[in-house]
Amino acid sequence: MAEGNSRFSVYNQLILQICKMKMFSVSHKTVFVVDHCPYMAESSRQQVECDVLTKSRAQGVIPLAPVSKSLWTCAVECSMEYCRILYDIYPKDKLVNYIVSDSEFHILNSWRQEDQSTHELMSALAAVGPPNPREDPECCSILHGLVAAVESLCKITELQHERRTSLMDMAERVANRGRIICLTNAKSDTHVRMLEDCIQETILEQNKLAAGSDRLMAIQQCELVLVHIYPQGEDTLVSDRPKKEVGDMTHFAFSLKNTTPHLKALLLFLPLLPSQISPLLTSEVHSVRAGRHLATKLNILVQQHFDLASTTITNIPMKEEQHANTSANYDVELLHHRDAHLEFFKSGDLHMAGTSTRENGLKETVTLKWCTPRTNSIELHYCTGAYRISPTDVNSRPSSCLTNFLLNGRSVLLEQPRKSGSKVISHMLSSHGGEIFLHVLNSNRSTLEDPPSISEGCGGRVTDYRITDFGEFMRENRLTPVSESSHDPSGKLPAERAKAQLERHTRYWPMIISQTTIFNMQAVVPLANLIVKETLTEEDVLTCQKTVYNLVDMERKNDPLPISTVGSRGKGPKRDEQYRIMWNELETLVKTHAGATDRHQRVLDCIVACRSKPPEEEERKKRGRKREEREDRTEKNGSKDTEEKSWQESERLKGLLDKEEQEAEVIKDSPDSPEPLNKKPRLSTEEVQPPERAKGPVSLLSMWTNRITVANSRKHQEFVGRASSVNNKFELYQHLKDENGMDVHENGKASR
Amino acid sequence: MPTVVLMDVSLSMTRPVSLDGSEEFQRKNLAVHGLNMLFEHMASNYRLEFTALMAFSSLWELLVPFTRDYNALQEALSNLEDYDKTCVESALNGVSNVVQQEWGSACPCQVMLVTDGSLGIGKGSLRHSLQTLKQRGDDKKFPLPFPFPTKLFIMCIANAEELQMTDAMDNLEELLRLSGGDGQIFTVEGPLCMKSVQAMFGRLIDHAYSPFHAVLHCGNLSSDVQVFPRPEPIVVDEEVEPMPRTVSTDLEIVGFIEIADISSPPVISRHLVLPIAVNKEVDEVGAGATDELEEEPSASQMAGKSPNFCVLLHGSLKVEGMVALVQLGPEWYGMLYSQADSKKKSNLMMSLFEPGPEPLPWLGKISHLGPISEAAENPYGEDDSKSPFPVQPQVKRSYAQNVTVWIKASGLQTDVQKILRNARKLPDKTQTFYKELNRLRKAALAFGFWELLKGVADLLERECTLLPDSAHPDAAFQLSHAAQQLKLASTGDSQYAAFDHNIAPMHTDFSS
Repeated sequence: MAEGNSRFSVYNQLILQICKMKMFSVSHKTVFVVDHCPYMAESSRQQVECDVLTKSRAQGVIPLAPVSKSLWTCAVECSMEYCRILYDIYPKDKLVNYIVSDSEFHILNSWRQEDQSTHELMSALAAVGPPNPREDPECCSILHGLVAAVESLCKITELQHERRTSLMDMAERVANRGRIICLTNAKSDTHVRMLEDCIQETILEQNKLAAGSDRLMAIQQCELVLVHIYPQGEDTLVSDRPKKEVGDMTHFAFSLKNTTPHLKALLLFLPLLPSQISPLLTSEVHSVRAGRHLATKLNILVQQHFDLASTTITNIPMKEEQHANTSANYDVELLHHRDAHLEFFKSGDLHMAGTSTRENGLKETVTLKWCTPRTNSIELHYCTGAYRISPTDVNSRPSSCLTNFLLNGRSVLLEQPRKSGSKVISHMLSSHGGEIFLHVLNSNRSTLEDPPSISEGCGGRVTDYRITDFGEFMRENRLTPVSESSHDPSGKLPAERAKAQLERHTRYWPMIISQTTIFNMQAVVPLANLIVKETLTEEDVLTCQKTVYNLVDMERKNDPLPISTVGSRGKGPKRDEQYRIMWNELETLVKTHAGATDRHQRVLDCIVACRSKPPEEEERKKRGRKREEREDRTEKNGSKDTEEKSWQESERLKGLLDKEEQEAEVIKDSPDSPEPLNKKPRLSTEEVQPPERAKGPVSLLSMWTNRITVANSRKHQEFVGRASSVNNKFELYQHLKDENGMDVHENGKASR
Repeated sequence: MPTVVLMDVSLSMTRPVSLDGSEEFQRKNLAVHGLNMLFEHMASNYRLEFTALMAFSSLWELLVPFTRDYNALQEALSNLEDYDKTCVESALNGVSNVVQQEWGSACPCQVMLVTDGSLGIGKGSLRHSLQTLKQRGDDKKFPLPFPFPTKLFIMCIANAEELQMTDAMDNLEELLRLSGGDGQIFTVEGPLCMKSVQAMFGRLIDHAYSPFHAVLHCGNLSSDVQVFPRPEPIVVDEEVEPMPRTVSTDLEIVGFIEIADISSPPVISRHLVLPIAVNKEVDEVGAGATDELEEEPSASQMAGKSPNFCVLLHGSLKVEGMVALVQLGPEWYGMLYSQADSKKKSNLMMSLFEPGPEPLPWLGKISHLGPISEAAENPYGEDDSKSPFPVQPQVKRSYAQNVTVWIKASGLQTDVQKILRNARKLPDKTQTFYKELNRLRKAALAFGFWELLKGVADLLERECTLLPDSAHPDAAFQLSHAAQQLKLASTGDSQYAAFDHNIAPMHTDFSS
């Protein structure tokens, strides 16, 4: 028995493997057709004692008579249990259409996703109510429902529609298969055959109709599972029959065409498949007593239909209500996709893993042992599969204890019970967002063991990576779910926007500490954080400008910079050289973003305007005494350049003016500090720019003039002086200085 | 993906090959030459591959267990001895055992059968094995297909014409088909000689042992990398999407996620991501270019000193406990993370998720993960105390929503007892009493179990009569009200039996 059985399950497994590769296998669509005719109101004769009297109250009280479920109640609750398990494990893309049949058919829900829940179905069933025993049995038939089921199978589901649309001219790849589970009380085998024939005919008819419709699809394969329910204590009038063996094999050959060679190879070892009523329809009949037997049958069916397998978690410690400090060990059985046991199946290890065959021998479960969880360490396990679970006995106390424990965020490792040898952890139970998954952990030797360490490869010898900064970068570029409804004007999906953000954030991103100055400076942080943004607010621009002024201030105070001295002997570059490097780097960073918006450009302008240009700086230091004279010169220079004054310049001036108000006094008193920067521009401002222009925003006219000037300037060769000017200024009579013994070398170097 | 080289050492392999004007070679020499070339290639370009060497005739022997020591493999090749006849079936059984013992049954494996194409005669020959396929019991099953995913490469030290003269080619094709069809039969093109065999192994190298090079991008930061082992093409759905999907050579990071949020996701394969120096790529184009070996140390030392994005990424992923979500192709994603082995070594690893728009339900659709900067407020909180993950499904699972199942009598009894227990504690437990009552009412209505409603109504009425004198007067009112409501519902009258209707507590006022 056991042998035949295991062969049967291997056989079944192979068949299921073929189906697994298909999105649109028969399990995509399941139609329940439940008989609502008067005879279903009959009692199942299975009695339930619901008045359990406690001993203390027992005296003198007559207990309530036990209640008994009708055939209808049995059928409905078992079908609901089937759906519960199905929806737990496949919340999407495995759809149920529920039809009730009496003198007509009642379709309780549709294929649409929002109709797929037990709550929806229960609500609709409540509206239908139990069958009316007084209804005329002659008018009532399960046939109404079966015909409706075939029609329903022809209706296209959301997923089918979506895939057909996306496949365009390959739409025919989307198949239409389905299963009809009929819960009824049949009269005889002949009656059953009549029902089958009728379904067969209806399929042919409907397929013709479907051929001419966009919203209908012809049925390629239909599986009828007829469950004949009869009350306890009666003999069945209908015989059990496995998948019916009539018809030809052509259809199966057709479906094989698309399977992988691997699976085809596996199939060679199978005995010939049970054939069918027709290429379109297979049928099987189960004759079951109402009550417990029916529940077991449907539980087995849901497992077969949806590739499920069972795992029993054993040794679960659970606190007893009465004895809080002791805990008894419990077992809980879970259902899940059978692939969670694939490793056992393949290695033939099922028995080693603690399989037990139960009841009628059809149901197998793999036993795994609970490992008391350690403290919640966050670890990335190598997990080869994760499968949703559903407890077989959902509201039993052990089940709900286990599920609540998991739903509260704890994970449990599961161990294969072995008689000897080391312990093997093969699975893990864990919940994610209110759903519990059975994770399959890899317990084999890894082919990637002992790889060369990353420190031995490219870039492995470098020691000053900006690990912390990149960590910060990663935090800023973490992801978050964005609702599908929120639509971006650019039409980009959120993930594309995330990539765009990464692109912006990395336009200038030195990887090692010694390659950068600005990212080692706290003072730059506000600007560096803001400039990478897609858009800047006026306030952001202001913050950036403040950052720049702050740097100017630092320079003025001659604050040291965190320039790396790696690779250079001695003290490294001089302070002014350090600032030059810093300004260059800052400019590089901001330049990569300047094109984004005008506000980004303004930040760049601010830097260009504010950064000290070494020649000027040098001069100023050296010619403190000749200030008056130089100012005259600047004046002249300025007046010549009037037309070329860009609006950027005016921005700069404006900024500097603001700055001056804040800081002028501090600086003036310090003998060491360089010449106040603002002095000169202020003069030129007063002379050159109309006051309102310096203070207010740029006028349209000045922007226009600038543009024209720029355009014009391209048309002629630039004056030498203008081309090599610094901040629009060019020093005249430079040769005089040289002759006077000025340091030519330093000047030359600085103006490089 | 480990490799097993299954070398035919039967007598037929010693058949001489006549070469013009030079010394005579045996087919075995040619095979060894080809394998040597392969091993040299692997030693320099595919170093991390584990390879085992087995020799077979009528018996089989594991000459070198799985190793990365290609010298050992080459040495074993040079010491091959000659034995009797070819028996492929028993050798394949050997492969099956050796692989499963080492790697289990889930690890994909490449099996390379090196033979001259004379596949034995009589019992034990491949022809005989294939003819008797269908007449076997469970204990004597043909070893193919192997339990583990297999790529079978059949390297024939013979040309196709020669094999087609007998049924050898047909039998080898059958063998490949049985193994699952993934793999290839290689034959020598043109006359048998060192050069043609070398060319054949060259084709194998290009097909299966050329390193997979890609560029890892994170915005403008990037690094040339080798992904090891080579990611295999995946068929998502045989019917709807029969074309296999391949990993793109541009791996684009989408963003970053905390390890706790990604939470041990299921993956289809794992790969090392090894940074490579850009100029090296040119060297490796020519298969088996071994003359670069000498220069390599200095080149790799140079490469070691120039900063590489992979190292930076790895360091930060490790420190922060995060993973990088990486796009591998259209609607296909994976994750990059730091993986440490037991020693101090750690590495950048990439795991591939199942192809599709939503590989991990708890992340939602990957294409709908956006930058946190877009959110009105930081979903991680200012102090990283929160997380937007896991994404909650719209509908709760049965075990999370207190469903009613009465398939076992105990389920029904428990629910009835709960109501009675609360009934005895009225009016304190009024809320719980009605909550449980309504839950039972809903289920009974859905299941068409009106008899139960009547029964519970009777029970409540009895409880009413059993109330002690000390009971609060409200208790009696509530009990008879509830009983009456249940009775009304059990008539199926749409006014009282609506599913969404709830029995509300009777409004009483005993305060005055």
